[in-house]
Amino acid sequence: MKKAVGVVVAVIVVVALGFAGWLFLGRDQMSFAGGATVELAKYAGGNVTGVPAQLADADLVKRGEYLAHAADCQACHTAPGGTPFAGGFAFNMPFGTIYSTNITPDKQTGIGNYTDAQFLAAVHRGIRADGERLYPAMPYTSYGYITDADALAIKAYLFALAPVSAPARQNKLSWPFSQRGLLAVWNAMFNPGERFRPNAGQSPQWNRGAYLAEAMGHCGECHTPRNLAFALDNHRKFAGALTAGWRAYNITASKDSGLGDWSDRDLYSYLSTGHAEGHGGAGGPMGEATDNSLSYLVPEDVNALVTYLRSIPAQATDLPRTVTTPAPASYREGVAVADANARGEKVFAGACASCHDWTGVSPVSGYATLTGVRAVNDPSATNVAQTVINGVDRKTGRGIAMPAFGQGYSDDDIAAVANYVTARFGAKGARLTGQDVAHLRMQTAQEPKEGSND
Amino acid sequence: MLTLTINGQPREVDAPADTPLLWVLRDHLNLVGTKYGCGVAQCGVCTVHVGGKPVRSCQLAVGDVGTRAVVTIEGVGNTTHGARVQQAWLEEAVPQCGYCQAGQIMSAAALLDRIPQPNDADIDAAMAGNLCRCGTYIRIRRAIKNAAAKPA
Repeated sequence: MKKAVGVVVAVIVVVALGFAGWLFLGRDQMSFAGGATVELAKYAGGNVTGVPAQLADADLVKRGEYLAHAADCQACHTAPGGTPFAGGFAFNMPFGTIYSTNITPDKQTGIGNYTDAQFLAAVHRGIRADGERLYPAMPYTSYGYITDADALAIKAYLFALAPVSAPARQNKLSWPFSQRGLLAVWNAMFNPGERFRPNAGQSPQWNRGAYLAEAMGHCGECHTPRNLAFALDNHRKFAGALTAGWRAYNITASKDSGLGDWSDRDLYSYLSTGHAEGHGGAGGPMGEATDNSLSYLVPEDVNALVTYLRSIPAQATDLPRTVTTPAPASYREGVAVADANARGEKVFAGACASCHDWTGVSPVSGYATLTGVRAVNDPSATNVAQTVINGVDRKTGRGIAMPAFGQGYSDDDIAAVANYVTARFGAKGARLTGQDVAHLRMQTAQEPKEGSND
Repeated sequence: MLTLTINGQPREVDAPADTPLLWVLRDHLNLVGTKYGCGVAQCGVCTVHVGGKPVRSCQLAVGDVGTRAVVTIEGVGNTTHGARVQQAWLEEAVPQCGYCQAGQIMSAAALLDRIPQPNDADIDAAMAGNLCRCGTYIRIRRAIKNAAAKPA
């Protein structure tokens, strides 16, 4: 009997350790490529970090500006409508709300007193100047790969900005997430804590793409699913995830759910402008990533990103294959939607059809075409509903705008139109309810209700 | 310099490609029958025909028009359905203040081009995006049916 208990305990311990080890191994963002990595200085393909050749002779602040764009500091460190880099953006999570902080060089409320060593500790290890730990909403498990020289160039750029007095907003987190000290354990487990090491078996272009995607762009922070401990699960690298109320899609080579059907040109166009003909445009957080970051990259860097993305192993997910044929020209034809009073169709006729057309192919702009768009072919309709609620306000190119309908339409109306749009133009109709829409609103709200942890 | 086909005539326009077609019509070509309403494609006042489809000209960049023919309220009377709709509009005395009416007529003519004998549901689907703050909707519906009934 005693022996049997011993065996059971041993099995449990082995399984637990194995599981912890499995989680631990999932932290490495570039291990999928296999092969040996080398120190930066020893990589035969030249320097793949820093700024592109065009900016090699630029001054430190100018180089820092390019790198700050590449690392997309601005999107998170800016409140909607607020001064860039002054912080205050709300991240609503299941366990509470975290606010981004002021990284202008203001000495009282910003980072004006940070030494180089303190800045590197924050960027690489998530440790504040006062020694407290940062929540991993700050993507330091990705930024850990940034070279010291690049991080300090970013610091030089930030210190050249006008200081803004903007005190940090109080986070609203439930226990035990409110205990920053516990992050020491999380970091020991999930922050690799080492600078970027090129893969000796890969081309300079691939390694440049890896540096831009992992160290700088931190794509995985939204596009890679998280494990039980909210760390990136790179066993399913770039397979897509729900992040802050929006779905970041599968960007692996999967033909059905990922980018397998996209040409290099499509990818280049989407990354540099936030739109690819026939695949739709970026809205929500990806629209911001394009406007604040990707659109600033030089063509060589965008091509490097394409090369790197192409190498990500396919991950099958449950998204259906995208429908690329337009819907019928008449509202009378097409997929029937179980919808009492045809509410979704009525909302679509009044508010949407003038730009998106009953076929889904917009007579106004390719950006407004719904046919072939991943979000429209996502049966959760998460991003369709968020786009209806929040609209689109893109800065790249000539600017792309769709009105925000969140204030004008009820949760039930938005659910009905999202269900209608996904059924008519996509692979499978969604079954959103008004309650689902209310929940989606809360996840992207910038002024969450007091006491709400949802 | 862009060349547009407007109401059957080639027109040269010197405007940045991202200028909304509405402002090219009104400010560059003095075709002021097309009105500005909401500016975000939600009221229908600025509707014109582009390539035979009703399009909100406040949202269409002139550089995106391409080779598609543009018809405005000034030219729609030269089309079969446009002429019938305008005649029916007079017979029913549809307008009240009139501000939205150019857009209403353009959407109604495009509807008859596609569906010569529309029923109520067809009218709802085609006209839902054209708002009228005077509430002339009942007369609009009657006028569309009247236009559809006119002999060919």
